[in-house]
Amino acid sequence: METVWSAKAWATVWQYRATFLNGLLNTLQSAVVGLLIAMAIGFALGLMATGSVKGLRMFARAYVEFFQNTPLILQVCFLYYALAYSGVKITVVTVGFISLGLYHGAYVAEVVRAGIQSIPLGQFDAARAQGFEYTDTMRYIILPQTAKIILPPMINQVVALIKNTSCLYIIGGADLIATTYNFVTGESTGGAYGPAYLVGGVLFFCVCYPLSMIAGRWERRLKERDAVKPDKADAKEATA
Amino acid sequence: MIELKNVHKKFGHLEVLKGIDLTVTKGEKLVIIGPSGSGKSTLIRCMNGLEEVTSGEVYIDGKKMTHKTRAALNRQYSSMVFQQFNLYPHLTVLENLTLAPIKLKKVKKEEADALAMENLQRVGLVQKAHVYPTTLSGGQQQRIAIARSLTMKNPVIYFDEPTSALDPEMVQEVLDIMIGLSHDDVTMVVVTHEMGFAREVADRVVFCDEGRILEEGTPEHFFVNPENERTRAFLSKILR
Ligand SMILES: Nc1ncnc2c1ncn2[C@@H]1O[C@H](COP(=O)(O)OP(=O)(O)OP(=O)(O)O)[C@@H](O)[C@H]1O
Ligand SMILES: [Mg+2]
Repeated sequence: METVWSAKAWATVWQYRATFLNGLLNTLQSAVVGLLIAMAIGFALGLMATGSVKGLRMFARAYVEFFQNTPLILQVCFLYYALAYSGVKITVVTVGFISLGLYHGAYVAEVVRAGIQSIPLGQFDAARAQGFEYTDTMRYIILPQTAKIILPPMINQVVALIKNTSCLYIIGGADLIATTYNFVTGESTGGAYGPAYLVGGVLFFCVCYPLSMIAGRWERRLKERDAVKPDKADAKEATA
Repeated sequence: MIELKNVHKKFGHLEVLKGIDLTVTKGEKLVIIGPSGSGKSTLIRCMNGLEEVTSGEVYIDGKKMTHKTRAALNRQYSSMVFQQFNLYPHLTVLENLTLAPIKLKKVKKEEADALAMENLQRVGLVQKAHVYPTTLSGGQQQRIAIARSLTMKNPVIYFDEPTSALDPEMVQEVLDIMIGLSHDDVTMVVVTHEMGFAREVADRVVFCDEGRILEEGTPEHFFVNPENERTRAFLSKILR
């Protein structure tokens, strides 16, 4: 086993750089498809959770609690083996998409629910009084207002989702963690633990950090804006 | 135009409306007064279906108000001005006025814009057409809300304490616009404590207490010789 500073180990990693990039690409692919599924599930559940149908509210609650209170890695395994045993032909990649989507759907649902509930009831009243039906109320009046509240936590979800692709390694995925792990345990490439993990980590960081930055900046801007708004309004009033 | 038949409304075990019978004729200016918590808001909100009645019936132009018909009836017959204005903060003033006519009444955008500008002219805020409502003073926001109601071109406008959330110096600018409206043939139902406004505008005043209509008559009747003990007690408080 070589140390982090072993030139030979770094050389091996460099030689296999395409493998790492390919792992990263697979990770991003899982993340993007997983995210699309999570968004679809999350918005549907978020609307159910804030809607007027009790059965749907309870379903949304149960879904969220279930997926938030069991480990993702277990869900991945369960889905994979359950499907495999029931004879469904399904690729590891697809299992990855679905399980990430189901799991993060629960979190997106909470983000959407919180966003909708942060809108004052007067907005719903105004829309109803004008004759908007539920769908149009959401589409034209409520959801556009939630966008800026939802976005920062949504980006944080994307970051979490990207990192959570690492769970797919347990069913033999081809994501970045699995790639890295196979690399350091592989026959021809084995041993270069330090460099390989460092590279894997840096790649994750390079993707996730900018996203976290954007989310953080956005959130700060919102806070500042909310903090100055009354003064601004007063100033305008005075000159109006 | 509006007819309430033995309307009861409960929130859980709390019975807020205890059998309201009320008919508002076309073009009538009706003022509703009464102590805080007497059910005035609930009453006016039952008229446009923002609250569903527990028992009894509400008719608009002979058509029954139900959960199902609410959107269509409101679209066609009524607008509402709220205590808290409830303008849409993500839209400009002009968009606030034109959203519902364009989306619900299928009015062409140019036509809606022209009508909206006309109504902004009427409330003296043409110069604010392209700003966002949160930058405006309370009085200005309420004038915009009135203009938004007018742009629906509906025969009925409900007002729920339209001046109660305003700084005292802004009350009159809003009342002046409402007095101006009263010369139109629009039907106005106004919850307010502004007895000066009632005297100038109202065809009829009803006094509510504890979920019942205790007394009704012309504004003069209420100023000169209210019959009910509680009406007198209430008026002596607000007319001080
Ligand atoms: N959504 C609701 N859920 C439960 N209770 C409610 C609800 N809305 C109103 N109430 C209760 O119903 C009663 C009447 O309320 P309402 O708002 O109609 O009175 P109001 O005459 O408009 O009073 P105010 O002058 O304070 O506006 C109050 O006791 C209030 O707490
Ligand atoms: Mg009220």
